[in-house]
Amino acid sequence: MKKFMILLIFLAALGSAMVQARTIEIDVHGMTCTFCVDTLQRSFTQFKTVSKVEVSLKHKKIRLETEDNLPSIDTIKQTVLDAGFTPINIVVQ
Amino acid sequence: MVTQWQKVVLFFLLSIFINASLAMGLRSLVALPVEKGGGVLRVAILGTEESERETITTALAYGINAQQTLLMGLPYRVSSATHSSQKNNRLGDMSLLYRHLVVQQDSRPGTNRFGLLAGALIPTEQDNELAIQGGFVFTHFKRRHEIDIDAVYQAGQNDRLDSGRFDLSWQYRLSPQSYPDWGIPQQINSIMEFNGRWLQGQDTTGQLTLGLQWLYTQWVIEGGLVKDINNNKQRHYLFSVRFHF
Repeated sequence: MKKFMILLIFLAALGSAMVQARTIEIDVHGMTCTFCVDTLQRSFTQFKTVSKVEVSLKHKKIRLETEDNLPSIDTIKQTVLDAGFTPINIVVQ
Repeated sequence: MVTQWQKVVLFFLLSIFINASLAMGLRSLVALPVEKGGGVLRVAILGTEESERETITTALAYGINAQQTLLMGLPYRVSSATHSSQKNNRLGDMSLLYRHLVVQQDSRPGTNRFGLLAGALIPTEQDNELAIQGGFVFTHFKRRHEIDIDAVYQAGQNDRLDSGRFDLSWQYRLSPQSYPDWGIPQQINSIMEFNGRWLQGQDTTGQLTLGLQWLYTQWVIEGGLVKDINNNKQRHYLFSVRFHF
């Protein structure tokens, strides 16, 4: 019974984490070189709730993975603007 | 024996290289952003073949926000003085420039940006005079090409002569031909520039600059050759390292 309860709690925690995990993709215009990638990567790494940041110069996208509360859409937009670029579209998956 | 003319040219070159040190081209200024609270530190060594003159310029760009940037630079003469008045002071004039981006048209393949420049050349020697400087910078970027155009006029105060400069720079991404899907790639650019340097009372010196640039994460290492195409037809070389923080 005790083992069953532990398994139940583990599965509940895992399920909760899976539900809360989010991927956010942001289309960004105005990127020109590797400095831009580095700038955006470092800007979003500062968020404690963002666990992974990927930037694509090829696709002009930023991909964020969060395991906690999402940064607000306004915060995401402002971060891109402060870095010197134009956020076009934000998709939360 | 160094003539007054040579002294003026040396002084002018110091001023030029302060300004030139904050470019994404080798010697041109650029209208690309420095992010809010971020900065770029650049250390550049520039030498002139015939006169064996070398100057190290330390320059810092600081992003007040994405549109406003402060550009500071200070040259230090490494080689021995060519004029008696320079023996006690190896520092050149400190350049302060404020850049305000007034047009930003971003698109998927690139960007067009136009900025205004204003600032001063502040002498580090009591004998020298201040100069007020102002101008513009334009950057067009699309796919593998970047074009930078700038022009700056430096109005000397009191006895200081006026001076000016312009730069046309074309940079082409040699590698990679295609970016990876995600992540930061190493990048190599070729650089070709046509530069003009003018000092009141003298003809404008036209210059051709050819160089290469290697970029990776927060670092840029670059070098190039500069050839005066008129006047004294001197050759110069430039090597620099930039760190983005």
